[in-house]
Amino acid sequence: MTDVTRAEIERMANLARLDIDDETLSGLVPQIRRILEFVSRLDAIDADGDRLEHPWLSERTILPLRRDEVRPPVLHGQLHDVAPAFREGFFVVPRLEAMDDE
Amino acid sequence: MSGLLGQAVELARRIEATRASGLNAAVTGLDHQVLTEQVARLERGPADASLRGLAVAVKDNICTLEFPTTCASTMLEGYRSPYEATAVERLKKAGAFIACKTNLDEFAMGSSTEHSIFGRTRHPEEPDRVPGGSSGGSVALVAAGAVDAALGSETGGSVRQPAAFCGVVGVKPTYGRVSRYGLVAFGSSLDQIGVVARSIEMAGRALATISGRDPRDATCADRPPVVLEPTPPDLRGVTIGVPREYFPPDLDEGVRAVGEWGIARLRDAGAAVRQVSLPHTSLAIPAYYVIAPAEASSNLARFDGVRYGLRVEREGADVHAMYRATRGTGFGPEVRRRILLGTYVLSAGYYEAYYGRAVAARARIADDFRDVFERGVDLLYAPTTPTTAFRAGERIDDPVSMYRSDAFVCPANLAGLPAVSVPVGRARGLPVGAQFIAPKFAEARMLAVASVLERLVDREQELA
Repeated sequence: MTDVTRAEIERMANLARLDIDDETLSGLVPQIRRILEFVSRLDAIDADGDRLEHPWLSERTILPLRRDEVRPPVLHGQLHDVAPAFREGFFVVPRLEAMDDE
Repeated sequence: MSGLLGQAVELARRIEATRASGLNAAVTGLDHQVLTEQVARLERGPADASLRGLAVAVKDNICTLEFPTTCASTMLEGYRSPYEATAVERLKKAGAFIACKTNLDEFAMGSSTEHSIFGRTRHPEEPDRVPGGSSGGSVALVAAGAVDAALGSETGGSVRQPAAFCGVVGVKPTYGRVSRYGLVAFGSSLDQIGVVARSIEMAGRALATISGRDPRDATCADRPPVVLEPTPPDLRGVTIGVPREYFPPDLDEGVRAVGEWGIARLRDAGAAVRQVSLPHTSLAIPAYYVIAPAEASSNLARFDGVRYGLRVEREGADVHAMYRATRGTGFGPEVRRRILLGTYVLSAGYYEAYYGRAVAARARIADDFRDVFERGVDLLYAPTTPTTAFRAGERIDDPVSMYRSDAFVCPANLAGLPAVSVPVGRARGLPVGAQFIAPKFAEARMLAVASVLERLVDREQELA
């Protein structure tokens, strides 16, 4: 496991779509470094060959699929009541232009 | 005034009293309209409903129709869910009053109920201390006597840890025992709705009401609700394992003394008590702080300013900038920290080193429990927390120190096992809890054994 850098945290913030100002970022770097140092005791575990099952699940390791049928959600309100911007049955968002830069 | 109306008015008064006192456990009141609607619902319902007239508060990360659901976050400030959680729906069908919503660490990420847009919840006895978390509001409200029971949620011990700090009962069911439908997702492989009450009996009644299969949650077990067992006269024939890893040399002396006093009472009741080992216990917190943030980073991606909740949109900015501004503004420091951590441990080049190892550690922890239960141990008994309630502000700038307060509770979450914290006594004036951890779906037996201990102890007794 490696020592996390400020640039890596900035990259994670970008991947996670989080605006973080410089001052906050400066505080986060040592905290995340400390947490990663703490979790590095997992190095003692050899992950190779371990079963990748789901020991916390109750009685099955594969979740059942629902029947492929359309059922209306049971809603006690309208989507436009909770949406930040909603028009003619659509959620309205700002333009997509800058996403081309990614 | 009808009996139910009188009860509801008195309930509203008690909740307001906790708000006025600065406890800061309830984040809503019970206003006149909600109160009268609920009275009308109960009057229409059967007079013999199992929880008729009982007041149940609901942690504010569980969806309700009567109140907003905010997760104590700017991201969901004022948000009203258009549907309600299965657990809440079942409480209402059983005749309960939904009393109010309760404070929590933002999105249930925390161990002290200090990370909340509503401000911190006080410990009900010592206001300069924390009630624990993240279900600190639910626990403090029950401990203060304002409600009969409350729903909390556990991802890594968030019901049992505060229950131990505040001297009440906290139950974490088997993963899959209670539907997660309507519980705002944090770590989906860990999350489970739990129950807080002042007695095992009341906690059991609430658990029996909310448990059972639900087609709206694919991870909910295809099993009927919990059927409670009567409290046995003694514990003859019951084997209780005490894991040595939960009594480490640096354990708080008061917690040790109360925990050992509880062991003596279990022996008095006729239980066979033997020491066992869960050798991978020390890996639980590191594994949890990889797996839970990883799942949170994915689950919380839905809060993007598009469909509901906060949107922060700057003049001329595109949709990508809107996402970043919304999420940067809407999430508080601990949530941001965990999203970044989760994104990091899942990113290319680090996935195997962190997430792969954490999942492997989780399997070993589950195997440890399975091994002791296969060797004839019926239940495990251990302290719930390494210390009593700590002072507010003491750990807020040191996340690892905060995380360590969950060292004894989070292994059961990783393994998906049921557990209950019971108040056993006091150390230096503060409540101390002990927990029973049981095999999957053994809640009824676990609660029956815990109720024997509950009967044998005086939770107010100063033991250290």
